[in-house]
Amino acid sequence: MIKIVAWFIGLFALVLTGFMLFTAGWERPPIETQQSGYRGTGMAEIINPRVDPQRLEAQLAQVPELSPLTPDPGVPRAGDVYQNVQVLGDLSVARFTRLMQAITEWIYPEEGCAACHQLNNLADDSMYQKVVSRRMIQMTQAINSEWTSHVGATGVTCFTCHRGESVPQYTWFNADPATVAADGMVGWRNGQNRAAEFAGLSSLPEEPFSRLLEDAGQIRVEGRTALPIDGDGPSIQSTEWTYSLMMHMSTSLDVNCTYCHNSRNFGSWESSNPQRVNAWHGIQMAQSLNTEYVAPLSPVLPPHRLGATGEGQKINCATCHQGVAKPLGGLAMAEDYPSLWGDAAPQDVAGVDDDVDADADALASAEEPVDLEGSGAGGL
Amino acid sequence: MSMLSYERKYRVRGGTLLGGDLFDFWVGPFYVGFFGVTTIFFSVLGTAMLVYGAAIGPTWNLWQINIAPPDISYGLALAPLKEGGIWQIVTVCAIGAFVSWALREVEICRKLGMGYHVPIAFSAAIFAYISLVVIRPVLMGAWGHAFPYGILSHLDWVSNVGYQYLHFHYNPAHMLAVTFFFTTTFALALHGGAVLSVLNPGEGKPIGTAEHINSFFRDTQGYSIGELGIHRLGLYLAIAAGFFSAVCIIISGPFWTRGWPEWWNWWLELPVWS
Amino acid sequence: MVENTNLFTRAQVHGPADYGVPLPEGSHARTGTPYKSYLLGKLGDAQIGPIYLGGYGIASLICGFIAFEIIGLNMWASVGWDPIEFVRQLPWLALEPPSPEYGLSLPPLNEGGWWLLAGFFLTAALILWWMRMYTRARALGLGTHIAWAFASAIWLYLVLGFIRPIAMGSWSEAVPFGIFPHLDWTAAFSIRYGNLFYNPFHMLSIAFLYGSVLLFAMHGGTVMATSRFGAEREIEQAFDRGTAFERGALFWRWTMGFCANAESIHRWAWWFAVLTPLTGGLGILLTGTVVENWYLWGMKHGLVPPYPETGVVDPAAALQGGGQ
Repeated sequence: MIKIVAWFIGLFALVLTGFMLFTAGWERPPIETQQSGYRGTGMAEIINPRVDPQRLEAQLAQVPELSPLTPDPGVPRAGDVYQNVQVLGDLSVARFTRLMQAITEWIYPEEGCAACHQLNNLADDSMYQKVVSRRMIQMTQAINSEWTSHVGATGVTCFTCHRGESVPQYTWFNADPATVAADGMVGWRNGQNRAAEFAGLSSLPEEPFSRLLEDAGQIRVEGRTALPIDGDGPSIQSTEWTYSLMMHMSTSLDVNCTYCHNSRNFGSWESSNPQRVNAWHGIQMAQSLNTEYVAPLSPVLPPHRLGATGEGQKINCATCHQGVAKPLGGLAMAEDYPSLWGDAAPQDVAGVDDDVDADADALASAEEPVDLEGSGAGGL
Repeated sequence: MSMLSYERKYRVRGGTLLGGDLFDFWVGPFYVGFFGVTTIFFSVLGTAMLVYGAAIGPTWNLWQINIAPPDISYGLALAPLKEGGIWQIVTVCAIGAFVSWALREVEICRKLGMGYHVPIAFSAAIFAYISLVVIRPVLMGAWGHAFPYGILSHLDWVSNVGYQYLHFHYNPAHMLAVTFFFTTTFALALHGGAVLSVLNPGEGKPIGTAEHINSFFRDTQGYSIGELGIHRLGLYLAIAAGFFSAVCIIISGPFWTRGWPEWWNWWLELPVWS
Repeated sequence: MVENTNLFTRAQVHGPADYGVPLPEGSHARTGTPYKSYLLGKLGDAQIGPIYLGGYGIASLICGFIAFEIIGLNMWASVGWDPIEFVRQLPWLALEPPSPEYGLSLPPLNEGGWWLLAGFFLTAALILWWMRMYTRARALGLGTHIAWAFASAIWLYLVLGFIRPIAMGSWSEAVPFGIFPHLDWTAAFSIRYGNLFYNPFHMLSIAFLYGSVLLFAMHGGTVMATSRFGAEREIEQAFDRGTAFERGALFWRWTMGFCANAESIHRWAWWFAVLTPLTGGLGILLTGTVVENWYLWGMKHGLVPPYPETGVVDPAAALQGGGQ
């Protein structure tokens, strides 16, 4: 009897080991690495050259071919010709039509104009998609004009997030209250302790975003003084929210913690990499966009677009980044669409590189090394 | 001659692996042998290089001294002395000294008619060290992936390398290694405590026997592994701790580049769930 | 040499079962009929049982079972009583301590109350088991060294789940009961309090942990290597040193200039093992209560190795400082 049990356990262990060895997605050398801190600190990006660059290439392959930017005739203006053009009325009809075509390719390549417009009356606002699109255009303009601290001169277009889908692939809903509620007698789990997609499959909190990427909750949890201060500091619980958010940032950008931090002291800026400043602005941007643009749209969305709390999908780092440190490898698509820059619209943008070059640039800039290696002496 | 009362009869010629009788002598309590000479050579040279590295570095503070490996850009090449070359020499010396020490233990085993259990166990520790400074760096293509020699700087390295994989505690081999470390310590406490409790029953009480230990463990947990078995178990547990430590770092990078929590996806996707 | 490695028992002699040394008057009888396991016999003694149940043992098992059930049923409830999902998610599941807002007050059952109860019963189980270890040793006329070593582990457990949370004024500081969640807690704890690697008691604890493993490898290896001379008969050789321990001692003397004896090696062992949780518990207890950030504490005390600064400044401070 005991022997049978022993055999059974042995067989079970063997099968599990088999799955562990053959289905876990193990990788293999050679791998590529990029030093991101002083030598010997263990700060480095670990790159699988057979997987990670391909992700970007596949994404760049999806970028639609669009008509090149031509000199702007100026008149007639869209606002004069069409009705109910609230945001883009100052554009010439030529530019306006070109942008509408681009948006269609970026978001509704299959459905076409009818996805947002009543075809018998294009000015009609009765479809929620049109209302949302208008607000999203404003958001894109705001990103490109007000958030250059994060998006730089590259800027964003609808395609940065949408990639040919009506709803971007990577978004989040507010956590189902049932996952945090303490209903009944047993089983409270406080929104964690489950293989959490957003937190890289750890058991950290499943949805840190409503606290930290919508509300401006406390992300800085590390003690700031050597000795305790009066009053309560951040709890272990809020540290786990921060950790969960950071797991999300890492997996969204396909970078590890040492891309930004020297983990010997996560909080210290003096020992952090410049990327952390960019990431900090990204967090501010996500908070701002979620509160000003994305969340307020919930009331216009139909029920099937709403989550468990009656709110729509919102954005996080993965919405744009999609597993790449610079979205689309830094491909400057927005260059061709001055109208998406809001107040910061570049004035004369007649001559633009063709797309082939831009693709090559994007790949090259994605492989640009982090220039921190061996910076100066001081310690061996 | 500093010898224990019973030592003279054990100090016999022979058993050496290399050098014949040439180095077959003792200095004070230490046996020398060919590998004693190489141990001294490597450890003196290595220590001197560490001191030199400290001397040209910014600090003599023992906690802060840091002898770091070369930049990753040097790949597997030799680096200039002041930019990681010192680290490379120290590493060669350390491996030379550790291996010499193990081989010297083998010679002593042969002299004393003992099995090679101790040098073999020590080899597990050497393997873990070599995994950190040679095997993994070679697999990743740069000496710069090895850990620096410094009391706190090597801890900084441990921290950062852990966070290269987002949450290192989810590394399955790290879990095993930690479990073996704790289990070995637990078993050591039980074994040490058991022997001491038999030998020190308290004032005026008779000393027990090995059967008292057996009875104690059978009484309390239903099984006693026995006086021979506990040493076997302890040896195996300790070697397993070292071995899985080596495994856990070798797989981090060369065979897994993502966050360790993500590794567990295979469990979530076992066909039995669907 | 292969003949003498003694890696496994090659020939097992199964005689009549050993029922153990006699127990003093007033003891319960030992329970269970001993039986032999061939596989166990390869490694050590083949005999399993008998066991002494006793009041403390039974009480401890009951308390441990209650704690186990509270934890397990809460985990199961947290997946909506789905048995498959329970097994699938098991490593991720946990019983959480109360949220920070409850401080040290008694929270509702389903918001940490179960955690407190599970902690209570687990603590009771451990302390009762400790009493069992103590009384069983005494009943056999032995010293109580194992009980006191166990007490050191209980100290670490109590620091983590009871003493430090009370010192911090919040149950939420304590560790959840769960496999991956307790690892999350460990990482979050280190991040929150500024890198536990800079905690000197953490350093000591790891040194004793590694030292314990090193000692057991040395001691186990030495005894196995001299087992053909009867090195495992340590009690006897503590009084009358045989050639086994002479050889073992000389091995270390010739290797490193120093050796222990049959008794003293076990003192080394006991102290290293005991100091591991003892210093670890101290390190945990000081964290957050006496030191807020171990890295900054290390900075204050000259521990931190200098690396070139990156010149990055806090953008939040830069905004507040008017673009300095």
